[in-house]
Amino acid sequence: MAGCVGGDSSNDVFPFPVVVSQLENGLKIVSVEYDSPGVVAYYTVVRTGSRNEVEPGFSGYAHFFEHLMFRGTKKYPTAAYNKLIKQMGADSNAFTTNDWTAYHIVASSDSLETIVDIESDRFQNLEYSEDLFRTEAGAILGEYNLNFSNPVALLQETLHGRAFMFHPYKHTTLGLLADIENMPNQYDYSLQFYDRYYRPNNCVIVVVGDVDSSQLSNLVEQYYGDWEPNNFEPVIPVEPPQTRERKSSVTWPNPTLPFLMLGYHVPAFSDQTIDMPALDVLSQLLFSETSPLFQKLYLEEQVVDLLSGGAGDSRDGPLFTIIARVTDPDRLEYVRDAIIAEINRMKVERVDPSVLADTKSHMRYRFSMGLDNPGDIARTLSHYLQLTGDPETVNRVYRLYDAVSPEDIEYVATTYFAETNRTVVDLTMEKNDG
Amino acid sequence: MDRFFVRFILLGVLGCSSCAFGTDQSLSVVNSETSVAMRMPNSPVVNFRVSFRVGSINDPQEKNGLNALTALMIGQGGSDTFSFEELRKTFYPWSAAVSAQFDKEVTTIIGSVHRDHLNEFSEIFLELITEPRFDVSDFERNRDSLKNGITATLRGNNDEELGKQTLNGFLYRGHPYEAPELGTEKGLEVLTLEDVKRFHLQHYHQDNVLVGIAGGYPQDFVIRFEENLQNALPAGVALTDSLPAPDSLSGVEVTVVNKQAIATAISIGFPIDVTRADDDFYALLVANSYFGEHRTFNGLLMNKMRGDRGLNYGDYSYLEHFIQSGGSRFPVTNIPRRQQYFSIWIRPVPHHNAHFALRQAIVELKQLVDTGLTEDDFSLTRDFLINYSKLYVQTADRRLGYAMDGRFYGTNSLIDEIQVRLPLLTLDDVNNAIKRHLQYDDLAVAVVTTNADSFVEKLLSNEPSPPTYNVSVSEEVLLEDQGIVSFPLNVDVDRLQVMPVEEMFRELSR
Repeated sequence: MAGCVGGDSSNDVFPFPVVVSQLENGLKIVSVEYDSPGVVAYYTVVRTGSRNEVEPGFSGYAHFFEHLMFRGTKKYPTAAYNKLIKQMGADSNAFTTNDWTAYHIVASSDSLETIVDIESDRFQNLEYSEDLFRTEAGAILGEYNLNFSNPVALLQETLHGRAFMFHPYKHTTLGLLADIENMPNQYDYSLQFYDRYYRPNNCVIVVVGDVDSSQLSNLVEQYYGDWEPNNFEPVIPVEPPQTRERKSSVTWPNPTLPFLMLGYHVPAFSDQTIDMPALDVLSQLLFSETSPLFQKLYLEEQVVDLLSGGAGDSRDGPLFTIIARVTDPDRLEYVRDAIIAEINRMKVERVDPSVLADTKSHMRYRFSMGLDNPGDIARTLSHYLQLTGDPETVNRVYRLYDAVSPEDIEYVATTYFAETNRTVVDLTMEKNDG
Repeated sequence: MDRFFVRFILLGVLGCSSCAFGTDQSLSVVNSETSVAMRMPNSPVVNFRVSFRVGSINDPQEKNGLNALTALMIGQGGSDTFSFEELRKTFYPWSAAVSAQFDKEVTTIIGSVHRDHLNEFSEIFLELITEPRFDVSDFERNRDSLKNGITATLRGNNDEELGKQTLNGFLYRGHPYEAPELGTEKGLEVLTLEDVKRFHLQHYHQDNVLVGIAGGYPQDFVIRFEENLQNALPAGVALTDSLPAPDSLSGVEVTVVNKQAIATAISIGFPIDVTRADDDFYALLVANSYFGEHRTFNGLLMNKMRGDRGLNYGDYSYLEHFIQSGGSRFPVTNIPRRQQYFSIWIRPVPHHNAHFALRQAIVELKQLVDTGLTEDDFSLTRDFLINYSKLYVQTADRRLGYAMDGRFYGTNSLIDEIQVRLPLLTLDDVNNAIKRHLQYDDLAVAVVTTNADSFVEKLLSNEPSPPTYNVSVSEEVLLEDQGIVSFPLNVDVDRLQVMPVEEMFRELSR
């Protein structure tokens, strides 16, 4: 079955018609015919991320699979897969988030059938030996090591570890170090993970560029049609409301300026309610380069050289995270208090309608200017598809942004920014007493 | 005014060989002596890249960082009419952006705006370049930002970048390229606002500029913009001092940066006398892609070090200075240089395998130099590059950047050169170019690690460094390892140095 949505209303922020079809096994195919002669972007969206890592001791497997998926099949062992990618001159990679994993290829549109062939093969027939599995675990440790030369990785790990008691958002996408170190011993678990989540009813194929949508549907039917669905549903622990403020301090063994990170629990993404859109607008009002707080801390007093905040779209309630790098170690508390004071001001002072209008205009132009090549368009669409499975979500959520009122801002500021809902982590340079 | 119009003779309305791949079909390219314009009437965005032939090599002695700070006073400062704060407020509802990119020889002011606001934006953008505000507050903020970039970010927050900058300084000791692009700690400390004003007047002038504009602008827009820019810039004389050759290396010269680190970062390199202006560059492009294509599993290093052994996250090589563009795998544009270096980047390796990893990278380089590519390796890699390079220019902004870089080197856009030159290459061209320009005897090595003394001791003793694998590796790999674990590294003891991280980039070596 196929249908065409979007691109037909002047209010739609997504300017291109989207064609959607679905196989009987549940695999959804979404395509956009875009004016990029000879180029096509091919995304496979797996609606599984670190959110699905519910068993203790097994954090990091969604991301680990991002690596394992390049380890070959009977038909196309690693070397053969890599050779085909090389022959196509393709840009092929993958990434993992809390909620989803994306496998993406940008290549010549002449190669479309080859792409469908090799991608369908590894999603249905991945085969890796225990030795290869253990080797790849070494690369994960390497990735952890390189990330942890940056203090922000430590801050994030600490903040999430403190703010979440039960929900898998407690650990970062990379996973906990102890679990990563134990990965080489968990070959069987990895097979189970693949069996649970790499299924057609948990995936979406998104293709943008020089593509004929009906030809694409036929190819996908031909290559993915026999893929068996699996209705496994993980039981994801529900995080109870936080009832008191949590705080942590960590140190860094190398030269650094101090950092401050604050997190507030906020609701899951929805294209039906105003809460998350209003929180996104609020993040601009609080932390954009034109915000009063930025003016004060960054431009006038110059007590921070980094200040940002916001919450990503998430399938379960994420943290609205604020980060500041403080230029003077003695001003950490001052900066924290100034941030909290500004949030509190938003609870009682209604935002100027012209400032709100400028913010909405900024968000719409920013979105529109980002849609200038097949890869970015596919990624944008994939982001909304992993959240709801519906490409129309992108237009719905931007209509909600347009509808955010000063009262909505006041409402979300009051509802979600209580002291009891806050976790604060600071990072300072380790003192060398010796 | 007259002079400007004389110069604005169209050099050509070009179709380009790669237009059929990935770009709006209505793209038209117009070049003048001082501009590159790429009109895409269907695009809602207009991108600006205004490049000046000035870089960190123009920093006065002991004032390292002046070029970077001057660029930031434009990219992160106010204009004569608007304060930085007012500018940001004006740009914000349009989601328009201005930034500055600085390197050794070229500095580029970058802007982007939706065509709905093109005229208002371009007036302000032009004023920013020609009449920066030079506000004291902007000056202090930007200088501190550069200084923090050295004292906090480079020294303590990013070991990989620290390793690469260490290699750069080490390769170019006493050379104009030595200082990091963002300056040195001491250099930045002594800079004054007057220094910045003088530097701007001296280098941001009519004869030093190349204007690049791409996207959905109206037909006559570029002519108007360039005319206004030229009228607002002072006259000047383009100065391009000749560059001395970098010091030659003698054996394996090692700098070890000592700091707390969870793993060891390694960069290896040596200067090469090849740039995009040379025929051999294109032959070496194939060799380098085969050996270490950035962040792909095409490269030999990646397959042997990560793929077969799980030593680390990635291992790549480069034929020219490389900065990754955002989260993509492609390089940023507009950082052309007259002198380049070949380098190998080994991403952090567990300390206990660092000595082995260094040896392996050099052994693999030796293998490349001694035996070259096979016919299959050659043809597969060449065909890969012919297709892959087209993906470098998926946006108008990137296409523009490459076209401007072509001006620096006196060539067409790199992608167009690849399309023309690579099909004509032979295996012999590639293997002969390897012999002419690559080698494995005289290398600079930058290592960022904990317990540097112990690492140095192992290096100097040349003791065997058997790797510790958490995994079982194949017999074939173990056999290869036998040729690596005791491979002698001819480390030059007199030039070996261990640096505490706190001293890195405080000032130049001499």
